[in-house]
Amino acid sequence: MSKRNFSGIDLKDMLLALIVPLFVLVLWQIAVSLQLFSELLLIPPVTLVKTLRDLAHSGDLTVNIIASSKRVVTGFLIGGSAGLILGVFMGISSFVDRFIGPLIKACKHVPLFAWMPMIILLFGIGELTKVVFLSIGAFFPILYNTYQGVSGVPKIYRELAQVFDYKSYRYLAKIIIPSAMPSIITGVRLSFGILWMFLVGAELFGSEDGLGYMMTWGRQLFQIDVVMAGLVVIGFIGFLMNYILGIIEKHVLRWQLSFEGGAL
Amino acid sequence: MLKYFKKGIYSNIASFILPVLLLIIWQYITVNGYISSHILPKPNKILSTFLWLFTAERFVFDITFSLGRVMVGLVIGVLSGFFLGLLMGLSKTAEKIFAPFLHLVRQVPIIGWIPLIVMWFGLNETPRYLIIAIAAFFPAALNTFSGVRSVPRSYEELGAVYGFKGFNRIRRIILPAALPSIVTGISLSLAMSWELLVAAELLMATQFGVGRLILVGRDKFQMELVIVGIITVGFIGFLMTKIVEQFGKGTQGGNVFHQRF
Repeated sequence: MSKRNFSGIDLKDMLLALIVPLFVLVLWQIAVSLQLFSELLLIPPVTLVKTLRDLAHSGDLTVNIIASSKRVVTGFLIGGSAGLILGVFMGISSFVDRFIGPLIKACKHVPLFAWMPMIILLFGIGELTKVVFLSIGAFFPILYNTYQGVSGVPKIYRELAQVFDYKSYRYLAKIIIPSAMPSIITGVRLSFGILWMFLVGAELFGSEDGLGYMMTWGRQLFQIDVVMAGLVVIGFIGFLMNYILGIIEKHVLRWQLSFEGGAL
Repeated sequence: MLKYFKKGIYSNIASFILPVLLLIIWQYITVNGYISSHILPKPNKILSTFLWLFTAERFVFDITFSLGRVMVGLVIGVLSGFFLGLLMGLSKTAEKIFAPFLHLVRQVPIIGWIPLIVMWFGLNETPRYLIIAIAAFFPAALNTFSGVRSVPRSYEELGAVYGFKGFNRIRRIILPAALPSIVTGISLSLAMSWELLVAAELLMATQFGVGRLILVGRDKFQMELVIVGIITVGFIGFLMTKIVEQFGKGTQGGNVFHQRF
């Protein structure tokens, strides 16, 4: 209805979207200018930008981002592959499903954070603890979605496999996995969201590097600019991750026109 | 769960094999001392810890305290989420104003807010309520929004025939039609807020609540306390899910799709 500019984004929509951020920014600046709060609690917006630039220049940011990403990837690989394998087995065999399903469903109800003290007691507070914790975080969403995808493979496909006489490996690779793919990809996306959230939590618990550590350190030294810079960076990376995964999802599922993708 | 009961007695037995097996192995290795009791306490020690907590300690009080925190945070988060979602659902302009900002803020993992909120509000009850409220806010807002948006056109037309306008239109047409989605949102909010309560109690050490128990267990190296804490927290989470699912069935006669996050 309204005019669209060359990039296809509605100019009026963009202006509307800017109202709230601008409002917050103005309020923030006013609060700072009137010195409503102490300088320790509320820094001017300009300082935040400067801190971000300083952190990026000094290399602190890069080091911490790399440390955090390593943990996420390791946790995802370990927990994700365990979840994938178990999910496929539970989906294919109703015996395995009945055998371990209830136990896993019971464990799923435990808030992930509650495992943390136990993992700390078992593995100390080193790198291993964080990886184990993040693996658990990746395990459940991937298991759950793989299971749903595999157990929901249409009966026609299974019959097709019988016609072609696909057994074991080929049955998995040609029928089960492709058919369950949309659900598995949803699980991957969910698990990265959860991983990113719990990574920050794990690093807040005690760590020597990483973005969560940077924020804890900033809090203890009462440098609120570092804490806020950490928030911005974490949010930005979370957004980027989701965006990239969205593209991958579209690419992998390009054959499936009706799939709308995404979860929550 | 109910699905399993319908499948007959054999499948029921199958689902008990593994837990019982694990319990036997657990008992065997702890009694024979293959693993230190600090790492893995005996099963009967867990049971006696449970009994001791419920009789001698203020465990029930701790649980009620944690539930109280969740309720306060949940009510604040769900109510504000509901109203924002409703506003965004009713007005396209409101959606264009608030939705981009909402999605922007949503990118930050909720736990990431903890250091900032602690700095602003100190270590008292307020930051805990706030964290839980933030956790409850997003599912409530997003699901209310999508529920209101997907009210069938025919319902709207029916409302127009009856001459419902303004508040009446919302109350008689929109809210009932959007209810299933809203209930889904609330159930997600509840699961999220319980998750974040545990995180908040563990990261912002507290005198009361279930988290205290787990922390005491960790600091004194009493694994039985930690395990009891995990079981309790998991069981309460399970109960919450069940209650909301039942409630959800009452409103829409189907299953509430439930998945954490």
